[in-house]
Amino acid sequence: MSGEPVRLDSVHKRFGKLEVLRGIDVDVPSGATVAIIGPSGSGKSTLVRCVNHLEPIQGGAIHVGATKIDANGLWQDGRRLGAGDIARFRAHIGMVFQAFNLFPHLTVLGNLIEAPTGVLRMPRGEAVDRAIDLLAKVNLPEKVKAYPAQLSGGQQQRVAIVRALMMDPKIMLFDEPTSALDPELIGEVLKVIADLAIRGRTSIIVTHELAFAREIADRIVFMDGGKVIEEGKPADVLDRPQQERTRSFIGRIH
Amino acid sequence: MSPERLGRLFWEYSDIFVHGLWITVQLSFLAMFFAMALGMLGCFGSLSRSRILRSPAILFVEFCRNTPILVQLVWVHFAWPEIVGIKFSAYTSAVIALALQSSGYLAEEFRAGIESIDRGQVEASQSLGMTYLRLMARIVVPQAVIRMIPGILNQFVTCFKSTSIVSIIAVPDLMYQANLVASATFLPMPVYTFIALIYFAMVLSISAGVRQVTKLLPNFGYFQHRRTE
Ligand SMILES: Nc1ncnc2c1ncn2[C@@H]1O[C@H](COP(=O)(O)OP(=O)(O)O)[C@@H](O)[C@H]1O
Ligand SMILES: [Mg+2]
Repeated sequence: MSGEPVRLDSVHKRFGKLEVLRGIDVDVPSGATVAIIGPSGSGKSTLVRCVNHLEPIQGGAIHVGATKIDANGLWQDGRRLGAGDIARFRAHIGMVFQAFNLFPHLTVLGNLIEAPTGVLRMPRGEAVDRAIDLLAKVNLPEKVKAYPAQLSGGQQQRVAIVRALMMDPKIMLFDEPTSALDPELIGEVLKVIADLAIRGRTSIIVTHELAFAREIADRIVFMDGGKVIEEGKPADVLDRPQQERTRSFIGRIH
Repeated sequence: MSPERLGRLFWEYSDIFVHGLWITVQLSFLAMFFAMALGMLGCFGSLSRSRILRSPAILFVEFCRNTPILVQLVWVHFAWPEIVGIKFSAYTSAVIALALQSSGYLAEEFRAGIESIDRGQVEASQSLGMTYLRLMARIVVPQAVIRMIPGILNQFVTCFKSTSIVSIIAVPDLMYQANLVASATFLPMPVYTFIALIYFAMVLSISAGVRQVTKLLPNFGYFQHRRTE
């Protein structure tokens, strides 16, 4: 499996009068990893949230595999998707949030098997096996019965990544997955992302970890003010930026 | 009046008082039961994105909260027969009016509980492919319920106190029995004082229980761990 391609085609997104995405073009081939960098408020979160339709768009189109999102909704084979189909569409796109968003009333295992059993109708035993297997891979085998609040931030985020992986997504979206973490916990999460989460999948990662982006991304997209300012191979964007705004951003973050 | 005479008086009428108290307790529980069901409808109606569901739900909730209980009681008992065409017993009217009153407050309580759940919970659920109904049932409501418990219990106390009003349509609750005994014995002062103390003791002990539950809640399930954060 190598994921599904994602292509943003002149995407426009407004919140009321505020235009947050102003004609975004981004191409993520099947199996590729694209890192999105840029200053706060540039529209990075909004962009990834449009890919799984947490946010509707007002112009342009987003192609996710065989599904097309435009200002009028979601489309497959010329048919407009209803609420149930949109939910099914999202089930195969994993999303990891800055704030983890684990379900605090469920144990780690409960968090992991909730959607596979409820949404995908996976038998419980199979879901539990899969959960235990994945927890071992992220070095948390003993936390099966823990509640999220009993875990460190780094542990919570690893569980959140596993929760997304439980659905065997074709696409993974990460919105600043390490920005809420203490510095000493960032490494363990980045490792799980690099070694497990993006393997064999198409991934879009919003991050301020430039070294990490350089290591794992096929392309880096620099955004500012709702536009793509510069885009290219990591070495080109990070070491030889063409645009003044890119240069100053990279200078500031180092 | 000697204490012995008073003692004998209350002993003589104790059956009546106990029966009255039993009716009061029944009314409180029945009214709260229906109020919870109505309150849930009101809550989900007012949260709905469909106008056809939302507008009547909001109207219902606001009506229940913004009319005095006495007016509701009289309205249900004396006006509904003409509006709906069914005449309810005084007891049924009392349950309906008390339930209406509480349901408005409970609907607001439920809604506040649901809206207090972090938006990230909904988004995480959606990103896992859950539909609105599923994420409400499995993720949002289970977290919100625990936050609603103190409000529900407080409403129960309010409802318990409100029951005393039903005596005016001759439901034989504690207050109604007190009126009977007071006029039969020509001893309003000791009778009403006694009744006031009973209500006071009841409400005080329910409230104390509520405070206890509210204090214990943080030890319940996942709340236990949140406290340390
Ligand atoms: N739900 C929303 N309603 C209104 N404005 C929003 C909303 N979400 C984001 N914005 C605005 O959109 C802009 C881009 O936000 P965001 O995509 O979160 O940027 P980034 O992730 O790059 O920091 C900001 O100006 C932000 O205030
Ligand atoms: Mg952001």
